Amino acid sequence: MHCEHCQQREAAIVMTTMNNGQKTKQHLCHECATNLQTFHVELQDATPLQQLLTTWFGTPAWQQQEQKEQHTTACSHCQLTFQQFLKDGKFGCPSCYDAFHDELPPLLKRLQSDIEHVGKVPHVVNEKMSLKKRIELIRQTMKTAVEEERFEDAAKLRDEARALEAQLLGGDNV
Amino acid sequence: MTQDPLLKATTPSWMEAPSEDDIVISTRIRLARNITNYRFPRLQTEEEATLIQQKVTSLLASQQYRALPMDELSALERLVLVEKHMISPLLAKRKKGASLLIRQDEQVSVMVNEEDHLRIQSLCPGLQLQQAYDAANELDSQLEQQLEYAYDEKLGYLTTCPTNLGTGLRASVMLHLPALTLTNQMKQLIQTMPRLGMVVRGIYGEGSENLGNMYQVSNQITLGKSEADILEDLQAVAEKIILREQQAREQLVERAALTLEDRIFRSLGTLRYARTLTSEEAATCLSNVRLGINLGYIHDVSIATINQCMMLIQRGLLQQHTDATLQPEKRDLVRATLLREQLTESHTEEHNNGEKGEDIV
Repeated sequence: MHCEHCQQREAAIVMTTMNNGQKTKQHLCHECATNLQTFHVELQDATPLQQLLTTWFGTPAWQQQEQKEQHTTACSHCQLTFQQFLKDGKFGCPSCYDAFHDELPPLLKRLQSDIEHVGKVPHVVNEKMSLKKRIELIRQTMKTAVEEERFEDAAKLRDEARALEAQLLGGDNV
Repeated sequence: MTQDPLLKATTPSWMEAPSEDDIVISTRIRLARNITNYRFPRLQTEEEATLIQQKVTSLLASQQYRALPMDELSALERLVLVEKHMISPLLAKRKKGASLLIRQDEQVSVMVNEEDHLRIQSLCPGLQLQQAYDAANELDSQLEQQLEYAYDEKLGYLTTCPTNLGTGLRASVMLHLPALTLTNQMKQLIQTMPRLGMVVRGIYGEGSENLGNMYQVSNQITLGKSEADILEDLQAVAEKIILREQQAREQLVERAALTLEDRIFRSLGTLRYARTLTSEEAATCLSNVRLGINLGYIHDVSIATINQCMMLIQRGLLQQHTDATLQPEKRDLVRATLLREQLTESHTEEHNNGEKGEDIV
């Protein structure tokens, strides 16, 4: 019997694929079978993202085992697991980005040009960032004040920093 | 309840102003935004969806945005909005808690609870990336004062799909590329785009074939690139494609003028005299006639008429226009009748304005 894919070499492997609960059997030769294994999803109407994900995770069996273990962690807010994410490449809630933080860099490197945002910053976030910077600056001056044994100044600076910190935390609840 | 003008079978305003440029049809900007601490629409409950819908609707009501909640529209009305490119097929499907909020002038709108909580969109005729972005950005900056966006200092705006992460910006330009298609240059162009961080598709978005030689070029990358860079790069790519299309048109005129002219006038003939027309054939003929107008072969049909026809040949708008539910085989007949009317009317109008040459040539 000839391989159903290349129609040339002798078929040696029966490949069974599950697609939406439907089983399909294909008789393939060694060469086509190995080739098809990595891109068979591409042949069904896969979106580019899915293609990328399957190619990325289309790793040998011994490595897949390791990955499965990692993927059982779920997002604490929406209970989505990384395995579920891989199915359609979509997250469940903003907290997923925290939950799967470690998985992101390799994924983003493939999808995007970089792994860090360089564009627009919302006004509120901008204000928070400048507040954080001011607190840091005060803390540094406070440190030098302590080193120079100007404790009264240091105490004043400490109160100032605390007030700003309260403002920063208060801003979170708005 | 009176019907919203947006649901009528008219050319949407983003297509109305006939652009000077004969290759670029329109520019579209989309910003994906989500509200922190809420699950993304795909996992949200009906209550969560309604809550977000109400919040955004009330915020925008004060700014003269009309609300079109999906569950208050008929299937045909939703289809009309999809065909006018005002909403995505996904939003039309979602119904409960999903809305389109649209500004009075219809240039800026927001899809609520599509794939992300908010999809701010801005549409402009012709190539106007900066103008379209500014309009969307202005609304975004207003909304961020009242809504707490899901934003991460490192990752930017957090979105359902990591392909939108970062800026959440998708900028796209709709182009009419008949000469590049005819000379088989599109395949190569489509293949080289990803290397530039861009993607070319048929007009009906992801995974669809091109209809009437209309393509959409958009940025693929949203993270690690600023909004300004994304727009600048897309502008450069669009300009290059326009130049190549112009060159291909010149070459066609130079080398195959008669074949080209024949093809164009046959298409006009088909549109004016055919008794049944599928949407594919109609789209192809309209594309040829548009090219004919651009190249100066056809003088008695306006680009505005072609734009109007392009819209009307679609399934939903055709039914909305004729105000009847049509079986598929009846549609082709109605489509042909409608196109005949549209194109002969403009023919007689212009004919009185001293158009003589056509028959003599």
